[in-house]
Amino acid sequence: MLRKEINDLLTQTGGSTPMGSMFRQYWIPALLASELPKDDCPPVRVKLLSERLIAFRDSKGRYGLMDEFCAHRGVSLWFGRNEEGGLRCPYHGWKYDYTGQCIEVPSEPEESGFCEKIKLKGYPLIKIGDILWTHMGDQDARPPLPTWEFATVPAEQTYSSKRWQESNWLQAMEGGIDSSHVSFLHSGSLKTDPLFRGAKGNQYNQADKKPIFEVVESDGGLFIGARRNAEDGHFYWRVTPWVMPSFTMVPPRGDHPVHGHFWIPIDDENCWAWSFDFHPTRALSHEERQAMIDGYGVHNQYVPGTFRPLQNKDNDYLMDREAQKRGETYSGVWGIGMQDASLQESMGPIVDRSKENLVSTDNGIIMARHRLRKAVTAFRDKGQLPPGINPEDQQVRSAARVLAPDQPFAEAMKEDLRVRPGQKQTSV
Amino acid sequence: MATTRAETQFRIDYPNSRARASRIFALDAISADAMRKITEDPWVDAHFITVGTGTIDPNIPLEDALILTDANGKAVQLSAELEGADVVVLIGSTPDHIDAAEVIAKASYERKIMLAGLALASGSDASSSAAVVNAMRPFATVLVVSSDNDFIPAMLTALRA
Repeated sequence: MLRKEINDLLTQTGGSTPMGSMFRQYWIPALLASELPKDDCPPVRVKLLSERLIAFRDSKGRYGLMDEFCAHRGVSLWFGRNEEGGLRCPYHGWKYDYTGQCIEVPSEPEESGFCEKIKLKGYPLIKIGDILWTHMGDQDARPPLPTWEFATVPAEQTYSSKRWQESNWLQAMEGGIDSSHVSFLHSGSLKTDPLFRGAKGNQYNQADKKPIFEVVESDGGLFIGARRNAEDGHFYWRVTPWVMPSFTMVPPRGDHPVHGHFWIPIDDENCWAWSFDFHPTRALSHEERQAMIDGYGVHNQYVPGTFRPLQNKDNDYLMDREAQKRGETYSGVWGIGMQDASLQESMGPIVDRSKENLVSTDNGIIMARHRLRKAVTAFRDKGQLPPGINPEDQQVRSAARVLAPDQPFAEAMKEDLRVRPGQKQTSV
Repeated sequence: MATTRAETQFRIDYPNSRARASRIFALDAISADAMRKITEDPWVDAHFITVGTGTIDPNIPLEDALILTDANGKAVQLSAELEGADVVVLIGSTPDHIDAAEVIAKASYERKIMLAGLALASGSDASSSAAVVNAMRPFATVLVVSSDNDFIPAMLTALRA
């Protein structure tokens, strides 16, 4: 249960809301690099933190992210012409560079300097890995560039996707740190999904549906360990890192690529669910990459030409009750990502947490909310920077390992939970 | 039926759960101090109990031999406190009363009462927290290590204590 005022504090991210302001302290994923594939390509509309923005790549390969609407008459610059070093409004020819600075107003004498007085709100947009990242906060307080492992390994070792999720960011993120649902909701996919099946760890998941949890704070957020019974009194541990505000990684299975997520607010009732898969030491195989493109694992299929999932709330997520009866899926919805999204969207755009009945095993979620609340109030009231901005906080991995019963995971798996360049993930 | 903001207005508004009985045990002085700060808050049905020290009467069953006092300083018995309890929370920061933790945890486990362990890392060193966690591990359904004592009321509120 969460009181309404705290729920509002954590879920409202528009304008100058405390949580929106906190999100603006971080570099966040804004677009896939493939959305702006070449110089002077068509501009792309994107909404982030309740702001409608336009992204483009100019003639020199510079990325721009700025207010979607022309300062002259409010026309959407999605209709703009991306040419000769800027984005030109097709209505009266006003032109903007990649920072949002107006560089041409054809109706005014060039010597008047009028265009210098016009500037659209603009944000930096930089490519790291296969993602374009932005920082929507004060440029004088710009943090170091993101160092997430999935985004910094060679291109052949990583794959990212994004989908539109029709819910507030927090309920989506909470699904990412709620390990106990895996043995139920995703149980069918553990057996069949090409990016999950075959790992020995799956057997432990399927044999023990009542994991025991341990929640430990980290500098950037939390480590949430889920413990299941293994052989000879040992425990199979799956440890999920959460880094504030909204980064999580799923513990690995066998030698499959490791996956994880960011949840970034579009507005208070929608978010971008970013999903990535990478392998720390080898290229993704053709089969693995194709499976990701085809929507397996944490990825999904799309309504063509959009980032809306093919399975969405307007078609009841293509519910298949027969597949559910056959045991192929637990919920009747195909695909791990959409199994999560369908249930999270069913809660409503912003779930009323005053009605929920949490139990002890929800303590990962309880602690994450608590840490978010503390961070956002410390930032609002004292200007204290929140955790997760420091590149060191981002050097985390998920891990899975069998341990003796007297070994606390936080100690025994300390090295496994840190990025070790050139070394494989710790997995079962 | 697609879920929209408009549709959420039609969700039935009623209490969908009955009150839970929560029993919170502070295992040492540091934990007792942290717990004492919240006992006056408006809880649903929470009893705050401190584990004390003293001579244990060997003629009394072990679980009732524990020296326990409630928020008013009155002596209480473990078996009576666990009667009808839905959730037990153990709060510890040092391994001082690990034996007591084990007795409470076992008694809760035998009665099928959900048990959460909370190791307070503030005011104690890492080895103390590890010892507390290790002692609770065999019995708890969840263990949390927190450096922030404010997590105690946050957790209890979330669990509708």
